[in-house]
Amino acid sequence: MIGRTHPVPVQADGSVIAFTLNGEPAAVPVPPTRRLIDVLRQDLLLTGTKIGCEIGRCGACMVLVDGKPVNACLTMMYQIEGRRVTTIEGIAGSPDALHAVQRAFLEEGGFQCGYCTPGMIVSAAALLAERPDPTDGEIIEALSGNLCRCTGYGGILRAVRRAAAIGREAGAHG
Amino acid sequence: MMMLTRETAGKRWRVRPDGPVKVTGRLQYLTDLAAPDMLYGLVLRSAHPHARIRAIRTERAEALPGVRAVLTHRDVPGLNAFGISRQDQPVFCFDFVRYVGDAVAAVAADSPETAERALDLIEVDYEPLPVLDTPEQALAEDAPKLHPQGNVLHRNEYKRGDADAAFAECAHVVEETYCTPRQMHAYLETEGGLFVPEPDGRLTVYAPTQHSLLDRMQLSRILGVPEERIRVVSSPIGGSFGGKDELNVQPYGALLALAAGRPVKIHNSRRESVRAGLKRHPMRIAMKTGIDAYGRLLAHRVRIVADTGPYATLGAEVLNFATEHVLGPYRYEHVDVESVSVRTNNGMSGEFRGFGGNQAIFALEGQMDRLAALIGMDPWEFRLVNLRRIGDPGPFGQTIARTDGAHQVWRKLKESALWRERVAGGHGGSAAVPADPGESARPPWIRTGIGAAMVMHGFGLGYGIPDPAAGRLRLAKDGKIEAIFGYEEFGQGLLATLETLVTETFGFAADDLRLIIGDTDRVPDSGSSTASRTTAMIWQALRRMETPFRRKLLGAAANLTGRPAGRLELGPGGVRDAESGELLIRYADIAAEAAEPIAAETHFHFPVTDMEKIGAHFLYSYSAVAVKAEVNLLTGRVRVLDQYHAVAAGPVVNPMGYVGQIEGGSGMALGFALLEDAVMENGRYLTGNLDTYLIPTIADLSGNVAVEPVEELPEDDPYGPRGVGEIGSVGLAPAIAAAVYEATGVRVSRLPIDPALLIRRPEELWKAVSGQ
Repeated sequence: MIGRTHPVPVQADGSVIAFTLNGEPAAVPVPPTRRLIDVLRQDLLLTGTKIGCEIGRCGACMVLVDGKPVNACLTMMYQIEGRRVTTIEGIAGSPDALHAVQRAFLEEGGFQCGYCTPGMIVSAAALLAERPDPTDGEIIEALSGNLCRCTGYGGILRAVRRAAAIGREAGAHG
Repeated sequence: MMMLTRETAGKRWRVRPDGPVKVTGRLQYLTDLAAPDMLYGLVLRSAHPHARIRAIRTERAEALPGVRAVLTHRDVPGLNAFGISRQDQPVFCFDFVRYVGDAVAAVAADSPETAERALDLIEVDYEPLPVLDTPEQALAEDAPKLHPQGNVLHRNEYKRGDADAAFAECAHVVEETYCTPRQMHAYLETEGGLFVPEPDGRLTVYAPTQHSLLDRMQLSRILGVPEERIRVVSSPIGGSFGGKDELNVQPYGALLALAAGRPVKIHNSRRESVRAGLKRHPMRIAMKTGIDAYGRLLAHRVRIVADTGPYATLGAEVLNFATEHVLGPYRYEHVDVESVSVRTNNGMSGEFRGFGGNQAIFALEGQMDRLAALIGMDPWEFRLVNLRRIGDPGPFGQTIARTDGAHQVWRKLKESALWRERVAGGHGGSAAVPADPGESARPPWIRTGIGAAMVMHGFGLGYGIPDPAAGRLRLAKDGKIEAIFGYEEFGQGLLATLETLVTETFGFAADDLRLIIGDTDRVPDSGSSTASRTTAMIWQALRRMETPFRRKLLGAAANLTGRPAGRLELGPGGVRDAESGELLIRYADIAAEAAEPIAAETHFHFPVTDMEKIGAHFLYSYSAVAVKAEVNLLTGRVRVLDQYHAVAAGPVVNPMGYVGQIEGGSGMALGFALLEDAVMENGRYLTGNLDTYLIPTIADLSGNVAVEPVEELPEDDPYGPRGVGEIGSVGLAPAIAAAVYEATGVRVSRLPIDPALLIRRPEELWKAVSGQ
């Protein structure tokens, strides 16, 4: 079967970029100007980060760099040297867990084709980390850099509201 | 009033089977796949919208280290053409190029960078030719012919009575010409895939499409190999909306992989997707509609001109659909419709959710609103006067399945909170009367209005077009119940619908099932995943397979347990005692021990009308849409605040999917009405990416959307759930136009709405600058 079987060799010109990827130390031999999106998708075969426009407009490639949402298509590798990168694969903290945002997307139907979903979830998770109880205006602002063509955003808005509620409940009981 | 939500749907609101892998990023889309030793493919697109090709030289590209294949028209072993309905689109152009997305050559190389360099090294000598960038130019007598048959792809017409004579009898007549934009599908996953030559000589194509078996057939013609030598894996898909129905990158990936003898990956950049991909047909629809003194429709004359671009794909079928849908759910004695789809050197137009209905119904509903205003009638009551009744024939006078959908949604909308708010606020002009208490708090340059529209939308491909359906159920060796359909999951929730229907029909648990779709080696020919047809076809297939499959399963269980089949029933995990529910034998044990294979299969055809008019529909869904919109008179911008959709489409199968289709479809309609147009000039796109082609963001669509299904069908209805995949994308645009009129008194006839039409200079400002 076709799958994530082989990293693509890339001319490194001797440079190695060290950073933290989803909590694990990583060092990749790539040119400093190589785009983060290409390292993730082509070199490391982490294809949960999607590619939709390559100009930072659609948000399908959203990842966290030191907890802040960033378009991986606009990020060069030298910019993440020594930083913490979190992709959709690492957003829940462990492979078996689901982030509250992921649970809420499942329950509310915050996705259809699912292609914008990793980026959307990364942006929403970043928002809730900073503002656990956001207003609708804050949700709209935080997700305005993520395009979705399927849902009309209704399910997404409901999911993020619900994720905030899940967080509140966890806070109240925890 | 029962809006469909997670709360009201209760237990039937289920987590989608494809959900966990989607929210965790674990799902590999076909454009995410990689293979050892794979090459990167790229296509050289035409440098001109219209030119003669004098020569193509590939030697320098071939000599570039790392380049493994360079292909042109000389390298197509089979038919150098494709097209679902008519094969007039060259795989590789050889004599002429007819639009900027035309393919001239393709390369496969070790890296994307090398492939790109190789494209630069291919030399094409073009002799530029005059560009036909409007249908009017292309129809001119002295216009160059883009194809030997000329520049008309297709004409259609429908006439009854004597419209011209009837207009003389009309008390009022409205004439208007409506223009609609070149809307882009803008699926987030651009076209692409992986093409793998297998050791046994077969080719595996991993590439999204809406009808895998048709892709296989088209590729077999192009490659000159039997269909059995090709396997098409076609799901999951990151959005399609009709845009991936026709072949896109598949011919190039397949040819390159076979030429290089290695796997080839192609994944279009957004720029290439815009340039080469399909769009919604821009249409110019001129309507003349007349009524008597009581508001009864007497005559309706329509002329449709569609810009279909250079090649056919389903341009003719889209035009047929528009020809049928400019008539809508209304009664008229005299009808005169003529339509033409014209070849131009603009971008390709083709299949797109709504399929010509969006344009047609925007125009038709605009006429209804104008006529109502002309005689001072409430626009919704005006529609009622003319509304089709249960048992009426379809728009072409054809037999259609009997439902009362039009009246059902009409009534629901009239009772809706949004419409009651409009009635309470007064109507019939420039919305001087505040419609709600919040209104008075708004600044004077913010005006609101509430508008509505009706939709009657056919589904299925229509009369005269092969529209097969099929399904298969099987108890697999490992004990899983396999539900096997040749449909595609592009986000609509097909897998959830299939899981829901199979579990509800038989009593299985979701865990008992294995859902198999999107792979030509495994599925029967269920027809296309288009035209809002799949839910209905799965439902009908299961109705046909239910009895035989249950009988076989229970019979085997009876043999193995020694109990009479009549005392057994299917349940979660296995066969159970019908009385106590006790689990008697697991499906896995039946599978291991049954003497004969336990399976059922059905093949049938989508129900069609008996009228011999190509494309005429037999089954319809209905919707009524109300919308509250706000217009800023300083900026001319329109904001949608609140939407209400009543949808009569039979029983709701998959509540989450149903809401999603209506909300998502209406989001697309909002873009069509307010934002989107892939503008072209001299046959070239002025937009190349999502920075200049704006689709709605969450800020544009944060308003409330209420969805109210009307599930009731006539008692003897044998057809079950109707399609809802497209209907949500149709009614919002005309409803917004009506709301804008209520808010401002401005009639809009061109989409997307130009803010300049709605800007008003504030009175104070006017006085200040004019010194009065």
